[in-house]
Amino acid sequence: MKRLIIATIVLFGLAVGMSQAGSVYPEIPMASGEAHPEGNEYWRVNHMDLLRHDRDLTMREGIRDTDASIAECVTCHAVNGLDAKPVTVKSEDHFCRVCHDYAAVKIDCFQCHNSIPPELSGASLMFKKQANTLEVLMAYIEGLSR
Amino acid sequence: MSSVPDSPKEGIDVTAVLYAFLFYLATLLLVVGTGMKIRRYAKAPAPLKIPTMPAPRSQGGVYFRMFREVVLFESLFKSNKWIWLFGYLFHFGMLVVLLRHIRYFTFDVWWWVQIIQPFGVYASFAMTIGLAGLLVRRIVVNRIRYISSPSDYLMLILLMGITGSGMMMKFVNHTDIIMVKGFFLGLMRFQINELPMSPVLLVHLGSVVFLMIIFPISKLLHGPGIFFSPTRNQIDNSREKRHIVPWAKKLEE
Repeated sequence: MKRLIIATIVLFGLAVGMSQAGSVYPEIPMASGEAHPEGNEYWRVNHMDLLRHDRDLTMREGIRDTDASIAECVTCHAVNGLDAKPVTVKSEDHFCRVCHDYAAVKIDCFQCHNSIPPELSGASLMFKKQANTLEVLMAYIEGLSR
Repeated sequence: MSSVPDSPKEGIDVTAVLYAFLFYLATLLLVVGTGMKIRRYAKAPAPLKIPTMPAPRSQGGVYFRMFREVVLFESLFKSNKWIWLFGYLFHFGMLVVLLRHIRYFTFDVWWWVQIIQPFGVYASFAMTIGLAGLLVRRIVVNRIRYISSPSDYLMLILLMGITGSGMMMKFVNHTDIIMVKGFFLGLMRFQINELPMSPVLLVHLGSVVFLMIIFPISKLLHGPGIFFSPTRNQIDNSREKRHIVPWAKKLEE
């Protein structure tokens, strides 16, 4: 009987503790531009193979006009920081890192490639962190009018 | 708030509910069943002093011997090099692969899991080679084939199925691991989330559930069992101290 009571208390404690936690999914930032026709699930599952395929085409076979480039990925998916400038892969808000940190997968793309859009005009204008103070908004607007 | 699923499915996801139920059941059976078995091992009397010589003469020595036994499989190495090689490849590979899988159950992922994570890919090859070697041994070595029972084959084939389906997802047919992690983090918070409908994933998870359920009634109990082997965990001090079990002591008084 004593054991049963202890077990019940432990289970109840666990249930309360566990149910408190928030989202179990990473917060994936919205991208600008048109959505991929293949759908998001396709890209979540296959992006690594597609990137590698294009890398092999470009580097091993010298075909430079592949359908996409990593610069294009970065352009639409860029996330702006609080200064209205796109964050690099050093920030955990970078769109690649949101999921890659979640799944504990390291990427080496950006050891050579640029992780921010080549042209700033194409950058997305969003930042997801709560930042309501006037100074932050002012800094953001100032960043926009750079 | 869950941001990943694009369009939450209408109604109840039968497969997700079934797998959630199976995982809760399997976890319960694994923990309680193995716990009961360990309790039984711990309470089993060891009336005689029977450490295999040469044996350590102090408690510290016994810890050191047990460590060598568990980490290096010392007595297996002394008795058969081939079984040791394949068994060690399999067990060590499985350890690294299991550590790699911690990433599906924690967020933030611990730093040392992040370091081990990529090596799990290579460890899966070690597992496969080890299991294949052990299976070939069962079939090819006449003497071993004679004493092999169906459950010996079942364990090897089941583990090969788990390893194979896991490697399929890594090398051939990817699964949406973000959704998989969401499913398991959800289970740990008593919520049932969407599970990707990938046949390979369902086979992988299904065979893991099966393994968890049969673990407490299978030969895999050699894992906890090794710690209770009298020939390994006893101190060689029969001359210094008389070995007498409590019930025998009572008879003498």
